Amino acid sequence: MNHDFKILVVDDDPEDHFIMQEYFSEAGLGDIVVFRENGEEALSYLAGLPPNGLPALIVLDLNMPVLNGLQTLTMLKEQSHLRHIQVVIYSTSNNDHERQQCLEQGARDYFVKPFTLEAGTLMIERFRQMLAESLQ
Amino acid sequence: MKEIVRVSLENEMDLILAHKRSMKLAELCGLSLSIQTTFATAVSEIARCAIESGAEAFMLLGIDFLKANRKQVTAIVYDTAPYTPKWQEAVSYAKRLADNVKVVRNGAHIEVSLHLEINFAGVISPAKLESFIQYFESEPPISPYDEIRRKNIQLQDLAQRLRESEASYSFLSDRLPLMIFSVNHLGTITFSNKWLQDYLGIPITQLDIAHWQQVVHTEDQHRMASDLNQLIINKKALRQQYRLRQNSTGKYLWHMISIQPAENDRDLTTQWVGFIVDIHAQKLIEQTLKDNTELKETQQKLVYHQQQLEQKIEALNRSNYELEQFAHLASHDLQEPLRKLFFYADVLQQKYRETIDASGVQILNNMTQAAGRMKELIRDLLAYSELNQREFEFGEVNLDTILEELLKDFEIVIRDKGAVVRKQPLPIIHGNAVKLRQLFSNLLSNALKYSKAGVTPQIDITCLQTPEALAITVRDNGIGFDPKQQHRIFELFERLHSRSRYPGTGIGLSICKRIAELHHGSISATAEAGEYASFQVTLPLSQQSYIHTA
Repeated sequence: MNHDFKILVVDDDPEDHFIMQEYFSEAGLGDIVVFRENGEEALSYLAGLPPNGLPALIVLDLNMPVLNGLQTLTMLKEQSHLRHIQVVIYSTSNNDHERQQCLEQGARDYFVKPFTLEAGTLMIERFRQMLAESLQ
Repeated sequence: MKEIVRVSLENEMDLILAHKRSMKLAELCGLSLSIQTTFATAVSEIARCAIESGAEAFMLLGIDFLKANRKQVTAIVYDTAPYTPKWQEAVSYAKRLADNVKVVRNGAHIEVSLHLEINFAGVISPAKLESFIQYFESEPPISPYDEIRRKNIQLQDLAQRLRESEASYSFLSDRLPLMIFSVNHLGTITFSNKWLQDYLGIPITQLDIAHWQQVVHTEDQHRMASDLNQLIINKKALRQQYRLRQNSTGKYLWHMISIQPAENDRDLTTQWVGFIVDIHAQKLIEQTLKDNTELKETQQKLVYHQQQLEQKIEALNRSNYELEQFAHLASHDLQEPLRKLFFYADVLQQKYRETIDASGVQILNNMTQAAGRMKELIRDLLAYSELNQREFEFGEVNLDTILEELLKDFEIVIRDKGAVVRKQPLPIIHGNAVKLRQLFSNLLSNALKYSKAGVTPQIDITCLQTPEALAITVRDNGIGFDPKQQHRIFELFERLHSRSRYPGTGIGLSICKRIAELHHGSISATAEAGEYASFQVTLPLSQQSYIHTA
């Protein structure tokens, strides 16, 4: 399949890179996913991209070393050329307070990392909808 | 005149003495025997007259110091009798014998002086005068009478001095702020100063053993009696403290009594001397200091307990912190590998179904189930630990709405089991909606879970209300439990039924109990094995009165 957009997943757990790759692949989006291990790496990766090469969606893990999900989200929203990119946060824990904070900082959504393939597929479907909305 | 010797003029013996001493003084002054005799005879004439007619008469013999270093022997006779013709006769006779006789009459007093000039007076030095005085003092007695007389005079003198000494002693002892006394071996008070008598208000004659007991505080009497007994037996000094009654106020004040044995010449104790001193102020200070010490001790204990309390609070805070850490660990770090376990099991089941045989699939299913139980456990533990560390906001909670919503949540299970649920209307109370929902969710879940096979499950939700509180009962007709276990079931991880038949974590009812407690309420259970289980939750309608104390 040929797509002209990218999805950036930022997660410090290499196993989760593999799991997410599986979910995206199942949904037929396996070749447009790019992985980075923390917020800082993600920001420097984005800084090196041309305006038309930016990802359409950024998925941030909440608990990460160096720059965590919330900090990275805040920095993304502070930069005018990145502010428009859709950002979702996903985390292992289901914490109302954290969810609230993320939404307040401009995250599109907050996901608990799925326990089953079925739940994972549903999450990817939600991503696809977001992408469709943003590409319209 | 420098007085050398005195002679009292009372009887014939005195007359002899007056003659003898006049003569002697003249002799000592170096005058000739004839002059001595003449002078002594003249003196005797006057002395006789004084002895015969006078009263309290006496004669002084001495040396007069005249101008130009001249000196004369002088005898002066003093009398208080009237100047009778007898006196005139005597004086005129004396004048015939002596050159210089003078009479001075001063009211009732008669003073007759006889003078005898010493021609070589220069040799009589002051030292010589002293030797004259010494001579007459040590003059051997001229008779036994003279001896007795002299002794008598000495005794009188001693008596006078003793009286003076005694007067000054009692003056002193009466004014000392002390009670002083002496007591003989028969127990009779032989001396007491004024202070003692004034303090006790009892005359000295009455201060016997019986009266002592009247003035000693009843609590001290026994001790004092035994101390005195010891004193008499051991003959050792006593120094003790007792309360003595002050007569003027009727108050018993603390005194120190000191008694010492006084031995006589033969080393026998016949007297006891002692003093009593007021130590009440000192006692009061001692008591105050003692009280103060107790106060300090109490204070120290208080500080100690406070420190312990602080340490416990610190330990509690630490364990709370650890609990929070644990909650974090449970919510995140434990779920992380569990989630992956689920994922891999899923992948295996979905993608490799064809290559795994039936028993392999069974193992996979078991693995997923075990992981599922762990997930539940983590979820419940997390819920329970959150109850201990968070402060919850209270607000209006419509219990009826909550129960209706819960019944909708359990709709599928209720339908599957064919359960009949009856619910009375419930009121609005003050509480935390999320937690109260959790409480009743657990109770409903249990009521449905522990149903009896082959019997239509019946669940009754009833409500009793008082002006302050309400009691909600959730009763089922399920398997129930042994009533003896009714307290155990609320303990953490307690399970009454085998996991294989009734899965669960053993945390649910602990959560219910904690939520009820957080609402200042309680939960209790009654049951009969194989018949029913009934859970009653009591909650105050308002949390208002707990806000300040909680």
